[in-house]
Amino acid sequence: MSKVLEIRNLTHTYSGNSTTKRDAVSNITFSVDGGEILGIIGHTGSGKSTLVQHLNGLLKPTKGTVLFEEKDIWLEPKKIRHIRSKVGLVFQYPEYQLFEETVYMDIAYGPKNMGLSGDELRVRVEEICKLLGIDEDYFEKSPFDLSGGEKRRVAIAGVMAMRPKVLILDEPIAGLDPKGRADVIKMIESYNKAYNATVIIISHNMEDMAVLADKLIVMNKGALAMFGKTDEVFLKADLLRQIGLNVPIVTRVMAALKKKGIDVPDNIFTVDDAVKCLCSIKKGGGKDA
Amino acid sequence: MDSIIELKNVTFEYDDNDIKNTVISNFNLEIERGSFTVILGHNGSGKSTLAKLFNGLNKPSAGEVFVDGISTLDEDNEIEIKRRVGMVFQNPDNQLIASVVEEDVAFGPENLGLRPDVIRQRVDEALKAVEMYEFRTAAPHHLSGGQKQRVAIAGIIAMKPECIVLDEPTAMLDPKGRAEIVSTLHKLNKENGITVVLITHFMEEAEKADRVIVMNDGKIITDDIPKIVFSNVKKLKSVGLDVPQTTELLYSLKNNGFDIKTDVISIEEAADEIYNALHLEEK
Amino acid sequence: MLKDITFGQYYRCNSIIHRLDPRIKILLLIVVFIFIFLAQGFAGLLVMTLFITIIILLTKVPIKLFLKNLKSILPIIIFTTLINLFYSKDGIVLFEIWKLKLTTGGVERAVFLALRIILLIIVGSVLTYTTTPNDLTDAIERLLSPLKFIGLKRFVHVLAMMMTIALRFIPTLIEETEKIMNAQKARGANLEEGNIFERIKALIPILIPLLISSVRHAYELAEAMECRCYNGGEGRVRMKKLRLHISDYLSCVVCLIFSSSVVVFNILI
Repeated sequence: MSKVLEIRNLTHTYSGNSTTKRDAVSNITFSVDGGEILGIIGHTGSGKSTLVQHLNGLLKPTKGTVLFEEKDIWLEPKKIRHIRSKVGLVFQYPEYQLFEETVYMDIAYGPKNMGLSGDELRVRVEEICKLLGIDEDYFEKSPFDLSGGEKRRVAIAGVMAMRPKVLILDEPIAGLDPKGRADVIKMIESYNKAYNATVIIISHNMEDMAVLADKLIVMNKGALAMFGKTDEVFLKADLLRQIGLNVPIVTRVMAALKKKGIDVPDNIFTVDDAVKCLCSIKKGGGKDA
Repeated sequence: MDSIIELKNVTFEYDDNDIKNTVISNFNLEIERGSFTVILGHNGSGKSTLAKLFNGLNKPSAGEVFVDGISTLDEDNEIEIKRRVGMVFQNPDNQLIASVVEEDVAFGPENLGLRPDVIRQRVDEALKAVEMYEFRTAAPHHLSGGQKQRVAIAGIIAMKPECIVLDEPTAMLDPKGRAEIVSTLHKLNKENGITVVLITHFMEEAEKADRVIVMNDGKIITDDIPKIVFSNVKKLKSVGLDVPQTTELLYSLKNNGFDIKTDVISIEEAADEIYNALHLEEK
Repeated sequence: MLKDITFGQYYRCNSIIHRLDPRIKILLLIVVFIFIFLAQGFAGLLVMTLFITIIILLTKVPIKLFLKNLKSILPIIIFTTLINLFYSKDGIVLFEIWKLKLTTGGVERAVFLALRIILLIIVGSVLTYTTTPNDLTDAIERLLSPLKFIGLKRFVHVLAMMMTIALRFIPTLIEETEKIMNAQKARGANLEEGNIFERIKALIPILIPLLISSVRHAYELAEAMECRCYNGGEGRVRMKKLRLHISDYLSCVVCLIFSSSVVVFNILI
């Protein structure tokens, strides 16, 4: 697989005067392949948001480089806007960015900025809505009349409609109820599969990460504390705990069981795996007795 | 029951383009003084409307709400009702009024017209109770979400309320901030004897409550102690509630033929349950 | 672009000037302003310069911060200086180009006015560098409080409340604007290029969400204030009482001595 996005020695420092607090990041190196789902975890203030704003050129690195398809995105600073349609970024609470009169027009805003128009634009919007299950009945509605969960989906669809090769989402499920969460996760999965797109998700939720992410980045105080396959990262529970994070709850339950003398493996990170494992132990135990 | 809040046959409707929407109808509820009650429900289950009825921010269309025996329809006592039943909302940014923490906490007592030295004392006490005293001269926009929310709570308890109602105070916080808020509330309930009504859709926040009320479509569908409410996972999931992963695991195991209870939330208790279930099997 | 706006210029340190009562600082600022205008000759203005130099040194605020403020209004200083250079026809003619005559009187007047503007700016900076925005609003509210005796009680309260809430929400709104701008830029919004009409049009995706969120802030804040027994300011007291100290009285005396010497010089010279 080829590297879609590569970050080399990225450092960002802020000069004092800013009214908005942003967190510095230092010396970050990693890469993602096409079609991968990468999770970024870390505390509030660990530099996650600063890091991802470099990936689509909203922030310029103080030091280091960001390569998209092996090309430095800042090679031609004037063309940085083109990068933003290739590396899509969905901010936290994206429903606050909705502004158009209709759902259709809001979703079309991104593709229109890319220069699409007429049939091409219409096909683009219709295609993404079909993929994400946004019904055509919604097209003429005002985005402000939708429920919270629906607004979130429309806002995310607005970025997906640009069909970015890399889609970054900052806490996409924060503040939603279980139904809304399931809907958004499904959207992300369908987009990832349909276009073999790379997806980068920032989240606090280890349980969701265990199910979704192929690889994980752990950020701590502006530095990259860990980077590896999801299983590998979650196996280092002590290291995660040291920086105030934790492994999924189900993994902690399994660890507690192990302490009690039940022989369970360390690499159980999802409820499904745990149920499978415990059922086989139960059967095994039954046979022995 | 010595109740601090009492709803008697309350109906609440609002007009939306001349169409009457009934959020709750013929609703009866009593909240016991000194208790810690959690109201669970998904977005749009009517729980926020209910919360605003508690302190007269919403006035019932029919029926009556009593705070300490005073009806919220009694206009002469409007301020006193709001003092007795304080309220904290979801977005901490929209509750803080002053740009210095201690001045914000002083806002309520200042409105009550207390003596300046009394206000000072109450502000200091309130900030110490939520463990934000060291930040008293900080600016709110330099605090984390959890810290801002604790300042908002201090702003309420500085008015010495009987009861504090919180409408999804943790929805916008990270896990650390959420834990801070829930433990602060338990401390206020135990040490200061303040009645707490916590409205949320995170089930694990109800773990240590005295009473859990589950709402759906403007109606109470369950009202009991946490253990009993949590034992019916199917019902909770059917009304769109967030179920913690421990419960999820126990529930799946039960569906897979384990003889297991689903009413525990903590990791240790869940491990005990599974251990016992496996052990029973061996015997 | 937005992060360059620094709201309030308070410089945190603990000098005599920082510790003065904000009401006294505002009143003395007005007094100094008046006397800077009253000074008719260089002698008076030089006395004020001396006075202000002493104050600057007392504030412990780095001189370069004052220079930074001056730099931002440099165009105005240069503009007035140039106009006044050729405006006066008094004194000896130094040289003449076309219709413009440069006279000693003109030079004198230009330098005098430039010095006056510089002094005014510096005095203003002293106030903002040494007083927090909160203390400033507080002081303004209290200084205006006598207005309530002429039936403007509500006005004073509402004004104070507005200033307090504005101070509290400006950082929040700036942060939000920046977030929305970034979100729309991520959707390909082009805010940097194009002619004036295109640029104004490009602002719509930012202004609408900002407006909606401001309305939401306002609505929720109003409810939160109501929950904290806010009743339009009826019967409201303040926790903080401002008390005058000896240093406040002393500073008044010093200020008046310097200022009145301006009058003395005006009469003598």
